[in-house]
Amino acid sequence: MKILNPDNLRVPTEPGATPCLLGNRCRDCGSVVFPKMPVCPSCHKNGNMEEIEIGRTGKLYSHTISYFAPKGFTAPAFQIFVDLPEGPRIFSLVGAGFPVERGVLEDGMEMRLVVEPLADTAEHKEELTYKYVPAGKANGARA
Amino acid sequence: MREVAIIGVGAHPSGRFLDKPLKALAYPAIWGALDDAGVKATDINVAYVGNSLGGLLTGQEGVRGQVVLQHSGITGIPIINVENACASAMTALRGAWLEVASGAADIALAVGVEKMNVGDNARTIGALSGVSELDLSELGMQFTTSYAIHPKINLKARMQEYGWTAADFAKPAVKNSYNGSLNPLAQHRKPLTIEEVVQSRVIVDPLTLLMCSSISDGAAAAVLCSADIAKRFSSKTKITIASCVLQSGVYRLPGDERPDSATTSSQAAYEKAGVGPKDIDAIELHDAMAPSELMLYERLGLCGPGEGPKLIDEHVTTLDGRQPVNPSGGLCSRGHPVGATGLLQIYELVWQMRGEAGARQIEKRPKVTMAQNQGGLLLGQDSAVYGCTILKS
Repeated sequence: MKILNPDNLRVPTEPGATPCLLGNRCRDCGSVVFPKMPVCPSCHKNGNMEEIEIGRTGKLYSHTISYFAPKGFTAPAFQIFVDLPEGPRIFSLVGAGFPVERGVLEDGMEMRLVVEPLADTAEHKEELTYKYVPAGKANGARA
Repeated sequence: MREVAIIGVGAHPSGRFLDKPLKALAYPAIWGALDDAGVKATDINVAYVGNSLGGLLTGQEGVRGQVVLQHSGITGIPIINVENACASAMTALRGAWLEVASGAADIALAVGVEKMNVGDNARTIGALSGVSELDLSELGMQFTTSYAIHPKINLKARMQEYGWTAADFAKPAVKNSYNGSLNPLAQHRKPLTIEEVVQSRVIVDPLTLLMCSSISDGAAAAVLCSADIAKRFSSKTKITIASCVLQSGVYRLPGDERPDSATTSSQAAYEKAGVGPKDIDAIELHDAMAPSELMLYERLGLCGPGEGPKLIDEHVTTLDGRQPVNPSGGLCSRGHPVGATGLLQIYELVWQMRGEAGARQIEKRPKVTMAQNQGGLLLGQDSAVYGCTILKS
């Protein structure tokens, strides 16, 4: 197994530490972006971005079920946008263990980050990436 | 800047043409435009060739414009290759327009050509993913998803917010399929009913198959010249480019209150042309997923929030309406060969403005028209490219 994009995702090995995303914060205007970029997209200044840990939790902004899978992925699958408390709104897939059907997710619900293979397919089963799952709900629970 | 006229247009039908390479698709469009304009191949001073996926899908990674134009007898002149995703052709048009407007050239050619059918749809869809920023596409995100839930458009949320029904959502596809049924160049020529659209298979909730544009091959071209010499070549209705605006997406953090880029690019086009939304007699717009037409009505200033379905119900944007939208059938019916679409839109508007559109001719011949074309997807919550062109006759 390897991390798909180690620049974006930190998976700590120390006991008790939880994985998180790596973003950038502008030292000048405070904008937080993910993935990282060297120039702040809000104030357009160069060289003021610092790395910060983000995205251990988030709020579901929008969600859908895709009944069509590009090569290397499976369908049906949830596809979602998550608002991170630090600022960015990011695209994500949903972690395994939740039935892919209407009513399982609800916009606005609390989510938490998990690290899983990108897809259960020959192409992507060895690549680890971030996904989000409903926080505090047992797998399979309905929203 | 000089005033620029469009004196000739040509197109290849949209659809599935497995055996035709890019140059064979482009040839009838290019010569259709040259013959329509009454110019010779050797009259062209400069050419811009838009194409998006040809590198990945055909293997012709470089010099596609030179390859395509040599086949049509156009050589030696400056040829500029343009890749700007689904807005490649509008971007090519802008290049040709600037050449003539600036005085660098007297006669310019703009071409858009795309070959998407290669006998392996998974490969085509993989190539299409490549016009989104890789950080998105490597996670399996597709364009259909972006129309459904991406913050820049979020049709699912609009449906809930405005109380649009499934039938409302299907109306643009139904309207445009009727227009497309009258267009001999269209890929899909069957008029659809609300029931057929709603009940077709769900691709990405809430978008169904018949709301989505399909894989398509096609091409279109336009010949531009300085308006003061247009009469020398063509006695047809004189059509000029009143504005041709190109913008790129901007990085939007949540809570960003700036107007979206489809709005700002159309506003810039209105302003430069000295007209407003009410002055536009016919529109071709980028309905890659048909219900997005309802959102684009708002963003182009045709109606207020949530009023999109009303414009169809009240026959404002239908072929018999005050402001027909997508008289060609739009991207879902006429077809969306991605790198050709912007010029297919121009082709339709020119025919409508000349009164030559046959069965789909708008009764009151349009004098001021607009083509809106966009493409690609960036991480920063916006499409990559927004193009908007206003024509006057």
